[in-house]
Amino acid sequence: MADLLLAERVRKEFGGLIAVNDVDFIIPERSIVSLIGPNGAGKTTFFNMLTGVYTPTSGRIVFRGVDVTGKPPHAVTELGVGRTFQNIRLFQHMTALENVLVGMHARLKGGIFRSIIGTPGLRREERQASERARDLLRFCGLRGRTDALARNLAYGDQRRLEVARALATEPVLVLLDEPTAGMNPQETAEFTGFVGRLREDRGLTILMIEHDMKVVMGISDRVTVLDYGEKIAEGAPDVVQRDERVVEAYLGRAATA
Amino acid sequence: MSTEPEPEPERRSRVDDVTRRLRRQSLTGWPLATAIALLAVLYPTYIMSLQELETVGKYFPSLGDSVIVVVFTMMAVGLNVVVGYAGLLDLGYVAFYAAGAYTAAWFASQQFEQVTFHFGAVGIQPDVTGIHLSIWLILIIAGVFTTLVGILIGFPTLRLRGDYLAIVTLGFGEIIPQFVRNADNLHGFDLTHGTFGISPIDAPGFGETLSDSLGLPASYQASFDRDRLFYWTALFLLGVTVFACVRLRDSRLGRAWIAIREDETAAAAMGVPLMRTKTWAYAIGAFFGGVAGAFYASVKSGAFPADFFFNVSIFLLCMVILGGIGSVWGVILGGVILGWLNVAGLATIGTDLGIEDVPKYQFGIYGVIIVAVMLLRPTGLIPERRHQRELEEAVSDLPLYDAEHDASLGRGGEDRIRRG
Amino acid sequence: MNLVKDPATFVNVFLVGLTQGMVYALVALGYTLVYGILQLINFAHGDVFALSGLVAFTVLTNLFGVDEASSNAISAVAIVLALAITMPLFALINASIEFIAYRPLRNAPRLAPLITAVGMSFIVQNIGLAMYDVNFRSASGLVPHTSVFTIGDVSYPWSKLAVILITIPVLLLLTWFVTQTRQGKAMRAVAQDQDAAAIMGVNVNRTISVTFALAGALAAVAGMLFLLQFNMRYDTGFELGLIAFTAAVLGGIGNLPGAVLGALIIGFIQAFNEGLGWHSPGSDWTRTIVFGILIAILVFRPQGLLGERTPEGA
Repeated sequence: MADLLLAERVRKEFGGLIAVNDVDFIIPERSIVSLIGPNGAGKTTFFNMLTGVYTPTSGRIVFRGVDVTGKPPHAVTELGVGRTFQNIRLFQHMTALENVLVGMHARLKGGIFRSIIGTPGLRREERQASERARDLLRFCGLRGRTDALARNLAYGDQRRLEVARALATEPVLVLLDEPTAGMNPQETAEFTGFVGRLREDRGLTILMIEHDMKVVMGISDRVTVLDYGEKIAEGAPDVVQRDERVVEAYLGRAATA
Repeated sequence: MSTEPEPEPERRSRVDDVTRRLRRQSLTGWPLATAIALLAVLYPTYIMSLQELETVGKYFPSLGDSVIVVVFTMMAVGLNVVVGYAGLLDLGYVAFYAAGAYTAAWFASQQFEQVTFHFGAVGIQPDVTGIHLSIWLILIIAGVFTTLVGILIGFPTLRLRGDYLAIVTLGFGEIIPQFVRNADNLHGFDLTHGTFGISPIDAPGFGETLSDSLGLPASYQASFDRDRLFYWTALFLLGVTVFACVRLRDSRLGRAWIAIREDETAAAAMGVPLMRTKTWAYAIGAFFGGVAGAFYASVKSGAFPADFFFNVSIFLLCMVILGGIGSVWGVILGGVILGWLNVAGLATIGTDLGIEDVPKYQFGIYGVIIVAVMLLRPTGLIPERRHQRELEEAVSDLPLYDAEHDASLGRGGEDRIRRG
Repeated sequence: MNLVKDPATFVNVFLVGLTQGMVYALVALGYTLVYGILQLINFAHGDVFALSGLVAFTVLTNLFGVDEASSNAISAVAIVLALAITMPLFALINASIEFIAYRPLRNAPRLAPLITAVGMSFIVQNIGLAMYDVNFRSASGLVPHTSVFTIGDVSYPWSKLAVILITIPVLLLLTWFVTQTRQGKAMRAVAQDQDAAAIMGVNVNRTISVTFALAGALAAVAGMLFLLQFNMRYDTGFELGLIAFTAAVLGGIGNLPGAVLGALIIGFIQAFNEGLGWHSPGSDWTRTIVFGILIAILVFRPQGLLGERTPEGA
């Protein structure tokens, strides 16, 4: 299986603080990888470097053979990386449908002149886009919410909309940042099944930041553990779970003593 | 996510789409807009009778004043694209106005008397010196030139954060009029004729051939109906601007603007190129500002530096804020109200109330309007559609979704949502 | 103009720049204090400065009745008393502006208070217009323009020394206030992290009001000093406000010593640009140069000279 994403000795420093410390990371195609670690371990910072929000202080990130280190976010998205956010960042005053349509921005071609004139080609493109958007919303369990303002959706629906929007960018790799935060056990179980379907039905590769171990253990092919910006363990879920250093990182030294 | 197998995707018929759209239309949609447009177009025919009315007659502005109102409203609609759609606080819009006006001045006057070049100009003798192009052509040239100016200004500016962007656009809005005032001796070359400005500027027209065949006016300036012609042309230009802006608002680019306005980082993560998209907003605003400026220069037959000062940008901003930030119809309303106040209203009201010199304090009044609107009704007189929905939904008592039937709403649920 | 070839002029211009820089510093501090605590560019600040100068004129001329004929001693006393009136007055006015126009918008999207500040700027300007019409006012007759000292061709008039004599104590007082008092520490805390400060028991609203009051008082001092040197009218604040804001950004917005440093630099730049033949800021090229500086800083080094780089991103 080819490597979809390759991160080499990626480092991020903020002034004197080293948030991510020379981390190597590989995501194989069509795998589901989880990134875990205590709060402040640098997981979201790492995400942000993968998606171009931060530029690594040093190191290299290669996605599908293309060096994306330091590329702006929209360029990374165009290459096929979609993401959700830890604290939901939907476009509050846009409807669910419109949120998803924005996700399609890079995949649509409607330019300024065609939009003003309103050519049949453009109208067709918009109609098809709406159809695809509705399909995505349905796939993510948001049927019937298409015209609701994002800010008025229930929490669970907002999380689903975030995923739908990310899928709209037609990604090859999807980055989910704590996707089950705030969900009850039933929703979490449903979501875990959904992630599996993303890989099976849509051929996507998934990288998740997660704190819920049931999700991590339940669906990941591989788990990587960060602590204080460093990779301290990596491997199959059950192996990592038993790793001494991992237990220590989460529970403190006393737990292993 | 749903654990049931996916149901068949519903086939949405054309009829469904149309009924859905019609139901969303309220009574105040197209019929009202058409009625107002009609009233505006026919204004020259009944203005005389209106002005003869007792007491209220003097409140109705003359045709000449009305042209000013329409031109400024057009600029406000352009500014609305930048401030309202994309959420970029532009405090230097007057720069575009100036750029457009001087484009007209360069290509339709005797400023460059070193050459004699006529193309499509009407109403002047063929041996008159200077460059004289058809005003219609100049409107387009002015739009394009101003757009380039906008892109140039935007390059260092649009990457800045909101408040800094405001100050820097303010700066450019100051520098360009400064430049214009002083550019009468650039190594001996007189570009803008300094504080005197450039005048006269040719008037639009359709030339002899079209005049003979279609009865169109050969030259506005020479025409008996001069005021009417300028007024209707102004309305036409406003109409084009409104049309383009509404189309853009509902397009892929319009969505991108609103996404940027809502959450820039998320927008970028969704594939929206920030600089490019913001620059488009700025460019569109610049384009219409330039066209308006060029047209107005032709109306006034001159481009005078005294017309281009910082306060004009605030005047336009006040129109956008009062009318409804992001709402085209709102901005038109704001433009008409403030434009009227500026050309006639303040003076007339002042005389009525016995207060002298009300127009002198007009910018204080606009300041009060801005503060009052921001504090009391920030969405403006006619809120943008989305904020209108927010207001409506907030007061509705029908739940937007049914907690029990979460994620498995059938068509019935959809209808409930729409009604709520 | 050359230090080597014409040292006298150079030093004279330097002194002019220094003096003007001090006035800019007082206004720049107002901008930077408010920005540090609210992340708001208070567009109205320059106009508050202008109005304070005009009101100072009224106090001096109508209330105290001093004019050119009055003796230096009496003028000096009158000036100090007038400051004792305008400083609290404009502290109150500035704090009121925050209370009425900006506080209700504390949680509104960022554009909102900015737009309101623009509107407020015009309101304050027009109050000045209503009270004083388009006339210029000046109290430069109250301070002697004779030299304090003359070394060769270098001379420094009393009028400019007065600026230094007044500004230095004010700056020292401000430093003491910000670093030593509880209120000053509260200001710094709120500037760093509003929520954390609130949790620590700081009354955020009161701290913000105090900040605005402080800025207003500083503007009043600047207004008086400007009035004593040049003439001013209702719209003088626009120009000077922009110059002072640029100074604050140059030094590092939110950074108090930075504001002073930036102001001095701009004062020097302006003086060297306009030479000795200037009598009030705002020649055409000065404005363009100052804006050029502003744009350059914001594009290339947005944290200014003394500010800290904030981490990019989400």
